[in-house]
Amino acid sequence: MVKEVYFFTEMGYTAYPQDEARRRGYNNLMFPNEHFSPERAQQLYGMYFEELLYATETGFDGVMINEHHNNPLSMMPSVNVIGAVLAQTTRKGRIVFLGNVLPIHDNPLRVAEEVAMIDILSGGRVICGFVRGLGQESIATNTNPIYNRERFDEAHNVIIKAWTTPGPFRWEGRHYDYRVVNPWIRPLQKPHPPIWIPGVVSPESVRWAAEHRYPYVALAPPLHVIDEIYDLYDEVAAKRGFAPTSEQRGYVIRVSVADTDEKAYEEGRHFFWQLGTSFGVAPRHWLQPPGYVSREATQSRREQARTGSVNVTPGGPSLSYEEAHATYQIVSGNPDTVIKKLQRIIDVVDPGYMVLWGREGLMSHEVAIRGIDLMTREVIPAIKAYQADRGQGRQRLAAGR
Amino acid sequence: MEAAGVRVQLRRGGTGAPLLILHGELGVPGWLRAYAQLAQHFTVYVPSLPGFGQSTRPDWIVSVRDLAAWVTWFVRDLKLSQPLPVIGYSLGGWIAAEIATINASLFTKIVLVGAAGLQPEEGHVWDYFVHSSREAFAQAFFDPAQAPEYVRYYGNTWTTEEETQAEQNREMAARLLWKPYMRSHTLPALLQGVATPTLVVWGREDAIIPLNVCQRYVRAIPGATAKVLDRCGHLPEMEQPEAFVQVVLDFLAPRA
Repeated sequence: MVKEVYFFTEMGYTAYPQDEARRRGYNNLMFPNEHFSPERAQQLYGMYFEELLYATETGFDGVMINEHHNNPLSMMPSVNVIGAVLAQTTRKGRIVFLGNVLPIHDNPLRVAEEVAMIDILSGGRVICGFVRGLGQESIATNTNPIYNRERFDEAHNVIIKAWTTPGPFRWEGRHYDYRVVNPWIRPLQKPHPPIWIPGVVSPESVRWAAEHRYPYVALAPPLHVIDEIYDLYDEVAAKRGFAPTSEQRGYVIRVSVADTDEKAYEEGRHFFWQLGTSFGVAPRHWLQPPGYVSREATQSRREQARTGSVNVTPGGPSLSYEEAHATYQIVSGNPDTVIKKLQRIIDVVDPGYMVLWGREGLMSHEVAIRGIDLMTREVIPAIKAYQADRGQGRQRLAAGR
Repeated sequence: MEAAGVRVQLRRGGTGAPLLILHGELGVPGWLRAYAQLAQHFTVYVPSLPGFGQSTRPDWIVSVRDLAAWVTWFVRDLKLSQPLPVIGYSLGGWIAAEIATINASLFTKIVLVGAAGLQPEEGHVWDYFVHSSREAFAQAFFDPAQAPEYVRYYGNTWTTEEETQAEQNREMAARLLWKPYMRSHTLPALLQGVATPTLVVWGREDAIIPLNVCQRYVRAIPGATAKVLDRCGHLPEMEQPEAFVQVVLDFLAPRA
């Protein structure tokens, strides 16, 4: 059963000149930041924060936030700053960090401290996700992508130990060394905020999440690879001696809901606001710097299914708006239509948590607010009441229906 | 073959005294014309360094200094007569220089070709890691279209194997060179202690490592001399093989 539903927006900086990006052939990493206007950003931040607050007040169980660098896709280069603001501006609802980009930090204890602060300030409302970052973020932060996974793993271990083991203690690792681990501020939730691992189906991340019993949150993948993701999760879980439930499954889905199917379909185009894509355009060697994608991952069946199929995950081929509907990477429609489509996903995944990525691009504030209203009044109650039939859902998926 | 704990892809040819060749960060694509010409005077050894080509990569090699240690073990395990001359290209030049700073008895003479390891006084080392492998090979030549070995090895459509190999070499390069990028902060000081005769060869139009680094090497290594080749980029052995081999032979002066 879907237990909680969160709201998400990338907080796109929509005011950059798309013609210039089209001329250059890319719109991140090296896209000149002279095209950034702090005044426009101030307006956009105001609008986005108002929408997030509204979502938490009207029926969402919280909001999801994330972090990207050198990228007009997102105005959240520090997930912890955004989270700290929300801790003070919202009164209820979870703040779902998906998440802190661990490998880019030379001092992961700073992450432990900041998340602990925000957990306290928010009254224990933090869900703490950890991510590897997009490939180009290794370049933007000049962190060797060869060690991305090693650093992710070790930084995670440092943070968890700092939260669960009384200090002071020493840490002498491969990438991190501390004479004294003894952060004064520790989280309110015990033993620490819930950890979630979001991903775009890289098998190592799925495996890693399962090994740690952390929920794996699929970031709007094509529906036809999702059963493989959670099959892998279940396999690893079985070896670890536990049977995953919906509590271990999260799902992020782009949703455009409006009063009519036609209106929702047209508004949904705003999810593809970056040169007609969802994540923007960059050359492959930025998206996949050396070692960022392991050879195992590149050669895996799952990865080939991913890159061989049209999708909108970073590094994949661009996907047309129409195709994104066919693969369930976006659902649009009036509330009834959207409910039916989400139930189709729920039948395959049976997630405990859903994130409705509910506004994007140049969608107007009024349209976004109307969408939030329709989600909170109609969509969320319906999907929370829905009893998934995972067996049947997967049979239908396998049969291509 | 196995050497120094690594399964090494070794290209070897010629007769006579040994000559060791250390390739650059782009790897070595085959038995180059320059090698064949040098093999008329030496037994030429061109190992793919650990992590490059078909050579395996031990986890412990994470820096140029580690690689330098490995190269000395490789020479020992092959039972090559020591001391011997060495030619090091770019990354390989840095390795040779690094070895020479701590061991004056391994090499008779050193040829550094477009060597990495020092920060340019002006400009930057071209950044492989914000460009593609294909862009890198084009950048490494002054005039790719006029260079037969560019056309032969890099100019055509790549096979999947070639793509994979280029990516693997690139990963090893990133492991060694990401930060600080293509340079050592201590090498300038260490080079003062090099006691091995050294020739520094540079392509005048090197668009990977600027020509001013040639002068830095010459100033840093006592007694070093320079030869600058015209109409030539970062890979003189591929772009100007005849001129390159001539300056190398003049310096190494093999016995007839």
